[in-house]
Amino acid sequence: MSRTTQPVVADPGSFRDPASRVFVGPEGVFRALSATGLEDWRALAASATFERFSASGGLIGTEECRAADLPTPVAEGLGAALAGGVAGVLRHERVPFVSYPYEWSFAMLREAALLQLDLMLSALDDGLILKDASPYNVQWRGARPVFVDVGSFERLREGEPWAGYRQFCSLYLNPLLLQAYRGIPFQGRLRGSIDGISPAEADRYFSARDHLRRGILTHVHLHSRLEARNAARAGGEAQREVREAGFRSELIRANVRRLRKLVERLDWSPGSSAWSGYRDANTYTDDTARAKEEFVAAAVRSAAPGLVWDVGANDGAYSRIAAAAGARVVALDSDHATVDALYRALAAEGSESILPLVADMTDPSPGLGWRGSERAPLEGRGRPAVALCLAVVHHLAITGNLPLREVVAWMRSLDAVVVVEFPPRTDPMVARLLSGKGPDANPDYDLETFEALLSERFSIGRREQLAGDGRVLYVATPAA
Amino acid sequence: MDPVLAYLDPGTGSVILQALLGGIAGVALTLKLFGRRILSFFRRRPPSEPTPPAARESEVN
Repeated sequence: MSRTTQPVVADPGSFRDPASRVFVGPEGVFRALSATGLEDWRALAASATFERFSASGGLIGTEECRAADLPTPVAEGLGAALAGGVAGVLRHERVPFVSYPYEWSFAMLREAALLQLDLMLSALDDGLILKDASPYNVQWRGARPVFVDVGSFERLREGEPWAGYRQFCSLYLNPLLLQAYRGIPFQGRLRGSIDGISPAEADRYFSARDHLRRGILTHVHLHSRLEARNAARAGGEAQREVREAGFRSELIRANVRRLRKLVERLDWSPGSSAWSGYRDANTYTDDTARAKEEFVAAAVRSAAPGLVWDVGANDGAYSRIAAAAGARVVALDSDHATVDALYRALAAEGSESILPLVADMTDPSPGLGWRGSERAPLEGRGRPAVALCLAVVHHLAITGNLPLREVVAWMRSLDAVVVVEFPPRTDPMVARLLSGKGPDANPDYDLETFEALLSERFSIGRREQLAGDGRVLYVATPAA
Repeated sequence: MDPVLAYLDPGTGSVILQALLGGIAGVALTLKLFGRRILSFFRRRPPSEPTPPAARESEVN
């Protein structure tokens, strides 16, 4: 039996802001506020920005808690939350699945950037500002971004610059520019550095010719030069100088408006990747496809899942089936172009149940940042009830060179009901994947071995061989 | 009075750039901050100072 009296623990990624800290436990998501933080929150709560963005879903559901109403584990956990003492506590709505910008597609990062800038513009109208500008403060309800860091808002201090501008460039703008202008995937760079792509680094990626493109000369090149030239100067001194010269919040507003125009116009068209036309070109006949869809629908319905992972989601056809059965779906695919196309389709439909993410299961996001736990590894962010592994085992085993035993052990580690498809060696796609390899490659890859390994770790509930290409579908429940 | 500093250091270069990027609203501010430097750029250079004797000596050596 699980003990419910354990104090809630601080979110390992929430420590930078001395005015606000997030705690997560079975009781919910709570935010401890300092005295300043509490005043800032109350200013936000009374603002038109809060009303408008809460109603539109752009801001996470938040309410202030009275100290007397807090469950004991929360009160205990929050006791020593902030160095200066806790003056107030907020309770937040929980997002279905936490994700990070290095798992988003281009259009997702752009949408998150626009939300960040829209919140800035609205906040400035209300005499507020956002003290930082980090995409880690944005999460998703399906394909709709939601800003979760209510602690980012503070009362505007006239004459001060926008402290988050550099962060906006490093974590939003530079990755977007890199992808839009140079076609360089930003995910690896964001995964490689928790602070993103600095102005100096971004400047290295662009040639002199790129200076003619919108945004490069100012936000990247000049930014990098000014930073290098003023590296020795104390930050406070420049702020004082700028303030005494008459810096006003209108300048922030003008800069944010221009950034918004710039970001809105950035686009990336990937051309065709090996995967983006996969469904049209793959080997299923209509009847086989329908049989597979029915099998998946029945499996998902009978599991009555909360969270479904669709591994190798491609165009999201099976994610949609799972969503139609009432699940929240995380649609994982390693191909950026495919995920971007899926996101754009889902965003156009206004889907709030399917979250598409760029994720390669042979190299999933690890724990990152401070002590390796500031950002949680992909598989440590909530267990799926059902994992769809359709048309994925042969890619893991043959392309990823994983022994089948490893593949099955990984599926078991998800601790979920697994709906898995096994295409035999005779399958045209499998033959294609094997064609470039020697005759001794993947000797363990056959149906009997797979089925034996699967039965070792799972109990097989349903098995169906598809007509035509001989692929076999299983519903496998983890063995105790 | 010193400004209340945010938990995030805005960065000196980024602060100066923000003053420059303010568009029309930023023109007056830019002139105030950088006017002298901009003017000196367009002004004719003052006649160069005579080379110090020490340097001249070292040239002969």
